[in-house]
Amino acid sequence: MPVLEVRNLKKSYGPVTAVADISFSVEPGEVFTIIGPNGAGKTTTLEMIEGLVTPDGGQIEFGALNWARNSEQIKVTIGVQPQSSALFDLLTVEENLDLFATFYPKSRPTADVLDMISLTDQRNKYVKKLSGGQKQRLAIGLAMINDPELIFLDEPTTGLDPQARRNIWDIILKLKALGKTTILTTHYMEEAEKLSDRVCIVDQGKIVTLDTPAALIDRLTKEREVRLTLMDGESAAIETEKTALLQTAVVRTAREGDSLRLWTTQPEETLYELFGFTKDRGFRVEQISIREMSLEDVFIAFTGKEWRD
Amino acid sequence: MNNAKQFSKMFAAQVKMMFREKQVWFWNIFFPVILMVIFMVIFGGGSSDSFKAKIAVVDPQPNATSASLIEQMRQIPVLEFKEAEPVAEELGTEWVEEQDIDALIVLPASEGAGAIRLIVNKEDERGVTTQAVAGILDKLIQQANLAAAGATPSINMTMEAVSTGADDLSYADFLLTGMIGLSVAQGGLFGMVELVDMRRRGLMTRLRMTPANMTLYGMAGMLVKLMLGIIQIIILSLIGVFGFGANLHINVFSLAIAFIAGGLVFSAMGYLFSSFSKTIEAYMGMANIVSMLMMFLSGVFIPLETMPDWLQPVAQVLPLTYFVDGMRDGLIYASGVASGAFWIGIGIMALWGVVSFLVGAQVYKTKSISATR
Repeated sequence: MPVLEVRNLKKSYGPVTAVADISFSVEPGEVFTIIGPNGAGKTTTLEMIEGLVTPDGGQIEFGALNWARNSEQIKVTIGVQPQSSALFDLLTVEENLDLFATFYPKSRPTADVLDMISLTDQRNKYVKKLSGGQKQRLAIGLAMINDPELIFLDEPTTGLDPQARRNIWDIILKLKALGKTTILTTHYMEEAEKLSDRVCIVDQGKIVTLDTPAALIDRLTKEREVRLTLMDGESAAIETEKTALLQTAVVRTAREGDSLRLWTTQPEETLYELFGFTKDRGFRVEQISIREMSLEDVFIAFTGKEWRD
Repeated sequence: MNNAKQFSKMFAAQVKMMFREKQVWFWNIFFPVILMVIFMVIFGGGSSDSFKAKIAVVDPQPNATSASLIEQMRQIPVLEFKEAEPVAEELGTEWVEEQDIDALIVLPASEGAGAIRLIVNKEDERGVTTQAVAGILDKLIQQANLAAAGATPSINMTMEAVSTGADDLSYADFLLTGMIGLSVAQGGLFGMVELVDMRRRGLMTRLRMTPANMTLYGMAGMLVKLMLGIIQIIILSLIGVFGFGANLHINVFSLAIAFIAGGLVFSAMGYLFSSFSKTIEAYMGMANIVSMLMMFLSGVFIPLETMPDWLQPVAQVLPLTYFVDGMRDGLIYASGVASGAFWIGIGIMALWGVVSFLVGAQVYKTKSISATR
């Protein structure tokens, strides 16, 4: 049974449709990531699920609970890290956790949470003296203080340096190891690819596609881009290009001076044939690469938009 | 977690936050103290309990009459001689010009009839000190004339200042209680800026995502504010009493009622400002205008009776007027809660509080949550 099920969510602000029609369900224990360009409706979707914004239409169900009838119970079972890390600046790390702990009927021990977010050494520091990454970790710590089954992390790594981002990934993986369900939004494709069990791409208030990262990339296209550069001048490249085009697996090619790009549905086969040809002719190949497909390509393919971090 | 425990934790957290904020110390403790000291020094005559005027005497032709006049002047305690002996007129005039002395008294140039001249600085011509010295001198001359005529004055005048309260009510008492009222009121008017700040930083939304009991949170916050008010009263009273000789006659019961009513009413007004302030600046602007207007129209520094007649009705609707009155009732008049005026005052304040709170709550309710983020 899904921990969260969302059906046909809709929300407009005046003439602007923020969310047109969004449906998905989240299974226990998975990391479910929502990505999309700015203004795609990610935040509005999350706010509706978190109970901050009332949808114009659609259903949100947390198992058997919904906001209309069970708002207090839902608040107890979820944990939220909002985009603006809302913390009490004049309290210490530990005091923040302790205060939030009093809001809930049951809570995870503060020492436990401090350990999970690696802030045990900073426990007595005022929040205003923490670094950006430490604040973000504390915000995640507050989201898990009630030991929730379902945790929402809204762009937890935005604006952080690579090391601080990795620290946050560690926390997300620890939560996953504990069997918690995480709903994540992010600006970083790499992050979505690494952490998520499933990725949901949202654009213009609708779900464009939803699957595991590997399946999405797989589904993207059968063609792979292969690049090679020849050391024996443009003529060698021209001849190689002609040979390549003779193969049925090669869909198209492009050449710039002595460097050649080709798109093939069977990269291994194509390369084997091409190397046979270059060896026979005595052409030396300087560089060769098969480009990895990433979620970024998926994103571009599905939304037709450039990805910007 | 049960409510009592949640409340005590919320209270403890808010106490910590309040006292760790330097701005709170500055605006709620340091600033009122400075303001009170300045007003006391300017209008209260410092800590000396009596008026003094510094003078010098010129005696162009010493004789028996002038000697007796000088002797009589020496007997008057409020006159302080810069030089025990008469000085030259040029020197004395120079002192007046430089404001080394308040007045120069020039005795007649000849024995018998003649004019006594009083030389004062032009700047001080209309000052209280000049008036007083002139009055004293006038009386002295009258007595001298009567004595010369061989008559004994049959009518004497003594003056005594009285007020409705305790006998020894002084301006220091009046100002002290006014300042206490003002500080507590400002604590409420400005204190709710915290709500705007919390909203701006997303803390309101964050708390709403938890099952936290926001009513308890608000009540804990009010209790912290009342505590700060008690600290203000104690510090200002100690400075007023020991630094400026104010006299307190405390009625704890009426003081407590007026104090709690005021604390709540001005916080309710602050809550109203917070409901339609998007930024801290907007809130502070509103709180400043309101507190400035009330400061001068509510009898904090000067008695209401000295205000122009047409302004009096304004004072009579402002809550600070009644709060300051209430503080004076409880702190210096020691009047109990039996008087009708006391309850009318509390009633008018309560009206302000209730209306502010209801309007504020309505504004908060009608704004969508996403707009308040």
